[in-house]
Amino acid sequence: MTIEMAGVWKTFGEGHTAVHALKDVDLKGPQGEFAVILGPSGSGKTTLLNLVGAIDNATDGRIEVGGIDLANLDVDEQVRYRRENVGFVFQFFNLIPTLTAAENVELVADLTADNGAERAEEVLEQVGLADRMHHFPAQLSGGEQQRVAIARALVKQPPILLCDEPTGELDFETGRMILALLQDISHEQDQTVLLVTHNAAIGGMADRVLKLRSGEIVDDLRNQSPVDAGALTW
Amino acid sequence: MVKPLQRKLWRDIGRHKPQFIAITVTIFLGVAIFGAAWDSYTNLVASYDQTAVEYRFANLTISGGDSEAIAAMAAADPEVESVELRTTVDVPFRVDGTKLLGRAVGVPVGAQPSVNRLDISSGTYLMSGDESVVLVEDHMANHFDLAPGDRFDVLVGDSWREVTVGGVALSPEYIWPARDRQDIITTPDNFGVAFVSAALAEQITGTGPNEVTLYYSDGEGNEELTVTLGETARELGATNVYTREEQPSNNALTEDVKGLEEMAVFFPMMFLAAAGMAAYVMISRLVHAQRPHIGTFLANGFTRRQVLRHYLGYGLAPGLLGAIPGAIVGVLLARVITRLYTSILSIPLTIVDFYWTTLIGAIAFGVVASLLAALAPALVASRVLPAEAMRGETPSGGGRRSLIERILPPLQRVPTAWRMTFRGVGRNPRRTIYTIIGVVLSLMLVLVSWGMIDTVRHLMDRQFIEIQREDATVFFTGPTSTDDVAALVAIDGIAAAEPALTLPVALSANDEHYETALMVLPDDTTLHRFADIDNGWIDLPAEGIVLGQATRDLFGIDVGDSIHMTLAEGMAVTAPVAAFVDEPLGTMAYVGRTQAESLAGTALPATSALIAYDDGVDSAALRNTVTELPQIAAFEDANVLYDLMQRFMILFYAFVGVMLVFGGAMAFALIFNAMSVNIAERTREVATLLAVGTERRSISRYITAENMLVAAMGIPLGLLAGYFAAGAALNSFNSDLFTFRLHIEPTTYLLASLAILVVALISQVPGLRAIRRISIPKIVKERSA
Repeated sequence: MTIEMAGVWKTFGEGHTAVHALKDVDLKGPQGEFAVILGPSGSGKTTLLNLVGAIDNATDGRIEVGGIDLANLDVDEQVRYRRENVGFVFQFFNLIPTLTAAENVELVADLTADNGAERAEEVLEQVGLADRMHHFPAQLSGGEQQRVAIARALVKQPPILLCDEPTGELDFETGRMILALLQDISHEQDQTVLLVTHNAAIGGMADRVLKLRSGEIVDDLRNQSPVDAGALTW
Repeated sequence: MVKPLQRKLWRDIGRHKPQFIAITVTIFLGVAIFGAAWDSYTNLVASYDQTAVEYRFANLTISGGDSEAIAAMAAADPEVESVELRTTVDVPFRVDGTKLLGRAVGVPVGAQPSVNRLDISSGTYLMSGDESVVLVEDHMANHFDLAPGDRFDVLVGDSWREVTVGGVALSPEYIWPARDRQDIITTPDNFGVAFVSAALAEQITGTGPNEVTLYYSDGEGNEELTVTLGETARELGATNVYTREEQPSNNALTEDVKGLEEMAVFFPMMFLAAAGMAAYVMISRLVHAQRPHIGTFLANGFTRRQVLRHYLGYGLAPGLLGAIPGAIVGVLLARVITRLYTSILSIPLTIVDFYWTTLIGAIAFGVVASLLAALAPALVASRVLPAEAMRGETPSGGGRRSLIERILPPLQRVPTAWRMTFRGVGRNPRRTIYTIIGVVLSLMLVLVSWGMIDTVRHLMDRQFIEIQREDATVFFTGPTSTDDVAALVAIDGIAAAEPALTLPVALSANDEHYETALMVLPDDTTLHRFADIDNGWIDLPAEGIVLGQATRDLFGIDVGDSIHMTLAEGMAVTAPVAAFVDEPLGTMAYVGRTQAESLAGTALPATSALIAYDDGVDSAALRNTVTELPQIAAFEDANVLYDLMQRFMILFYAFVGVMLVFGGAMAFALIFNAMSVNIAERTREVATLLAVGTERRSISRYITAENMLVAAMGIPLGLLAGYFAAGAALNSFNSDLFTFRLHIEPTTYLLASLAILVVALISQVPGLRAIRRISIPKIVKERSA
């Protein structure tokens, strides 16, 4: 699924209190691209991700994802868009504590498929949690919880995966393992991945690195030979 | 200058305004009810006490026997300050053509009696020796619109004698116009009291004084003296000895005021418990959400005591904000209630005092309840380990399948969203338990109030429809032959007439005494039914006496035991107890006519007749026809009595209605807080579900289902607790005058449950609206949502 942004602005507040989180952003991302968005806090990385995921609306400009003009979507259409096209991975995992790993994934799988339980098990096996799938979040480590979160994002087989600081809460080894997982899945399933981080080292594994500063893309680098996530170090 | 922590406190409260307002309002209601009920109770008791002292209300009244000897015996006792010998006689009155059962009470001419003084509200006290001038008791004067100078008739011997109203009087004996202890409720057109010269009273009876009233030193009760005087009086033939507390009017009023005392304890306790739980739920949530802040405070050098104090502040603030105005409003309301009450009942003296203790106590109750609620979460806050608290949120709760899934494994295969709902119920067990307790308390409040309405309605139907099956009671001017009763059937409109003989009787057994009335009815009476407390409806037994159930406990006797009965003129009979009957009003004794005549050794007359109407009869016309008969003293239509009671109930219904509204408000406050917290705690999950494409209405549905499930879990417990609480509340009103058996209609349980579910549903609306306002990008990015 391609992503196209043209002249996108996102402003919070009004008048003299207005803060421009994104300023006239233009971006084109091809199908299957693994892009890392780098930038310091407040640079607009998460805002960009939220706009692509249609959990927030642009103040101005045009955003098209797979030919869908996000600006013209009403609330119900936004829900359907997210359900069918987008998988989210959050920094704080955001798992439902009263559901097991399998059920957390199944809950989302049920939104798009009849065989949610089977799909959930498949995906959990895929992320290496076959033996932990009936554990509740409180019984899982941080890395395992994030893998559940990735499984939850993947179970719908979304064309786009949006990851917001997915390693922010994890130690180095676990973080690298999660990145490797994302990289593998992206390649295997030809998914478009947008991964937001402030960790410049992660840029090494990406097809493309976008650098944001104060709401503007200040650098757009193509990486001709991305490294394996397992080889990253920081 | 306000310190930053205090600013934080007020801003936090501001952020959770609806929840804290709900807590504050509940505390306000609880404290206000306490202040109003307690001060009203205190004021009314003070008013009665002051009235008793001012009007020298008799400490002991002794009827029958050798009254002069009894008076002389009492006068010789130094602890008796005043003795009044008087004549009291029940005699027909005729006012503007209406015949009624009158009571002529003899009073001295020229000076107020030394016991049971009168308050003359218009006209003057009896100052001349003119026997035709009388004083009319306030209720009768009001009903018949009698004023000084008006005239009415009193039956003296066989002829009506016209008397002139010299004044209208209030008496401590008739603040509540009860005929006697077994006849607490009378219609004003059927019973009236006049205070007449002693000479006229004696002319009516044709004998000398028959009653002695005693006022003890300083008017104080003296149990030992009462026992001694009572025993001696009985030895001198007295048939009825009753204390001030047992005096019919005073007893009825005391029972009534007792309700306020009950209310002053029970209802505020419910409200304060509810407010406490709402505060606990709210503050616990705050502490949980603010763990990182607490960790930061502690890491920066705040002491645990400071943290404890800070979070206690969340209880103190609504406690003070609710309790102070609540106490003031309650105390002010008590003044209004007291004046209203004393003016409706025409209590001669109204004491309205300001009691600092009530004000301070009410505020203290409110504050202590909310502080106690805050204590547990505040302690949790003060014991937080800073490093752990600042490390961030770890998923809490859950960790296992819900109980219902474990009990019913097939439920593990229902859609995941519904499993989430089941598990949500047990996610925070303490909050779930408090929400359930909230539902239970609300249902208790509703059922206690509503149960009283159902019980009283049922009680009235039982007494006036199921037990007393007569349409009217006709009172004769004197003892009448049963043939005269039978002749009544000849009157057009009367389908049946049964003779009844009512005699004052003193029952005794196991050294206990009880004065009541013995009613002699036809063996096969169909106009009065007997509800045996063990065996359901029974006929009048051929042998033995039937007693009201209150005597069973009083005497410690059972069926088959003997009971001693002393009737007028010193006639004494001992007979076995054949049955105890359950009658809501009064505690009477019954015996079949054949057995009574056999015991008396002679044919007995009738003092009244129970009559049944023909279908479609014009009861007013029939009353006129019957009361024109010379031997008829009064005609009491059961429907009029029933309607009168219904009218009395309007005030009661109004009170219960207010309690229901308050109960609804309490339920709303409590459930609203629990639901709001439940929803607030889910904000991050909700945002995540929204982000992955779940519709808002689906999420609302899951959360609603979970909350309603919790509310529904409280309902069976609430119904059970409500049933027992209503029973306990009613039990406190039980006496020999009234027997309240709890009766709650099935529809009441159903409607109360539905009402709670509706309140639970409505109380979720604000929280569900908040779901619509959730900012997904903001929440999913927050560490602690």
